[in-house]
Amino acid sequence: MFSRPLTVLVGHFGSGKTEIALNGALDLAADGEAVTLADLDVVKPYFRSRSARHILAEAGVRLIAPEGENVYADLPIIVPQVRDILRQPQGKTILDVGGDGTGARVLGSLTDVLPTTGIEILVVLNFSRPSTPDTAGAVAMVHEIEAVARVRVTGLISNTHMMDDTTPEIILEGARLAVETGAALDLPVVAAAIHEDMAASVNGDLPCPAFILKRIVKPPFEVQPQRKTVGPLFVLN
Amino acid sequence: MAKKLMKGAEAIGEAAVQAGCHLFFGYPITPQNEIPEYLSSRLPQVGGTFVQAESEVASINMLYGAAGAGERVMTSSSSPGISLMAEGISYCAGAKLPVVIVNIMRAGPGLGGILPSQADYFQATKGLAHGDFRVLVLAPWSIQEAADLVQDAFDLADYYRNPVMVVGDGLIGQMMEPVEFYEDRQPIKELPPKTWASTGWKRDRPKAIINSLFLDPAELEQHNIDLKKKYDLMERDEVRFATYGALDSADVVIVAYGTVARVCLSAIEALENDGIKVAMVRPITLWPFPYEAVREVASKAKDILVVELSTGQMIEDVRLALHRPRPIHFHCRLGGMLVSPEEVIDKVKAIKAGTSEEVHYA
Repeated sequence: MFSRPLTVLVGHFGSGKTEIALNGALDLAADGEAVTLADLDVVKPYFRSRSARHILAEAGVRLIAPEGENVYADLPIIVPQVRDILRQPQGKTILDVGGDGTGARVLGSLTDVLPTTGIEILVVLNFSRPSTPDTAGAVAMVHEIEAVARVRVTGLISNTHMMDDTTPEIILEGARLAVETGAALDLPVVAAAIHEDMAASVNGDLPCPAFILKRIVKPPFEVQPQRKTVGPLFVLN
Repeated sequence: MAKKLMKGAEAIGEAAVQAGCHLFFGYPITPQNEIPEYLSSRLPQVGGTFVQAESEVASINMLYGAAGAGERVMTSSSSPGISLMAEGISYCAGAKLPVVIVNIMRAGPGLGGILPSQADYFQATKGLAHGDFRVLVLAPWSIQEAADLVQDAFDLADYYRNPVMVVGDGLIGQMMEPVEFYEDRQPIKELPPKTWASTGWKRDRPKAIINSLFLDPAELEQHNIDLKKKYDLMERDEVRFATYGALDSADVVIVAYGTVARVCLSAIEALENDGIKVAMVRPITLWPFPYEAVREVASKAKDILVVELSTGQMIEDVRLALHRPRPIHFHCRLGGMLVSPEEVIDKVKAIKAGTSEEVHYA
């Protein structure tokens, strides 16, 4: 995952695109890559990639997102730097696109500058979410996104979890459904995203590579007070 | 039904459907748009109707009509939108109509911002609109509790024939948590048939007239007395709260509600490790307020701390709860900024060290 110069994350609302985008950007930066993360979320008003701008800045990740007070706006702002980075890519770029077909429509407006090679377009799937309870729902979601985004999806990321109630069974069942969805669409499951605390309990049983996550997107009451000593926190504001 | 991972807004919408609400009328405003978004696709699946009204004023009056016809009906909005609905909510209270109103609060005043806030406490509990009326105000602190309270809200609204409001800060609308709905859920109140509903007169009962206009002052006085009796019953029977921590001998008792109480609970757990004993009372009904619970826990604590995402609107109720005037410490964040566990820890330590300034009031 994130091996191509450009990775585009799409998927249904609340499937975990932002968490995966942030983790991917921070991992790449830690490996010494020049990373750009573009926040194209025009769907949700909170918990967007741009809210983690302090963490990203500290890690040396370039963030493309609305600036000034527009950081907080619930307006569909696509900053022009997005088109620049797509025309002249530098290092690795991740696009965090908003949820559902509604959010993917933004991608449709960028097809004139989207490169045709060196690009991976991944749909994030969480089968615990009400909008994709089964593979039929996931297949329909992929078709909807492809139609409005005017792109071909190249792979799937399994991200089935239940927050703190996640069990190995939930992860493995989600991965199985993702593989089933992939078979129906002739798409590979490039990875299963797994929280670092769960990694040891499922790793050997996965039908695809694991992508180990740290939880970054979280509400203020889940922020451990002592974490402040190791860097800025992910906050809403 | 198996657990689902839901955004607060989705859970609130699904809770309404599970409670038998087949009608939703509303007007968009951040940060609660996902409630109408969810219901616009969900309600048709159960034979219900979703209408995006032309305004909040229209929405609340659509609720008036639907509730008058005996239907379970809900709207949701965020702070400025609730202000626009105020007149209609008073009409619903005056006409004794059961409606459920969800307010996902954002920072004000005015247009304010779109980030979380609790600054509509006064509005919800004391000054929602004109006239002598009250609404039950339920304040969840988690997505599961939001789902549960929305279902309870429909039962309470029907039982008392009165508007019920569910209030959450923006996080309750936007954050995501596991939620379960129970298929065998029973109403929390015994609910008689709605013989008062205006469903078409077939000469088989007295005419059902839904109205809040009483020109005869004696009649209107009696109407107000009847309403007051209902509000007295709510104060007697509907107080809800939860308590946490060192209830028997706390250094500090915190009073906080909604997601702020969860921030405080994270702080309480960390403070425990430092040997500082903190108790917390979390009002679940903001009206009626849990005066007795606050009084009792506060009587066993050395100091009192109120934490809110407003400039101290709940302090008034905490003061009313106390046996005698006592100093109250206060911590808040405003404008959409959020309280962190660390801030609460620092505040409690400052209280212990005698360096926290109390709230001054006349």
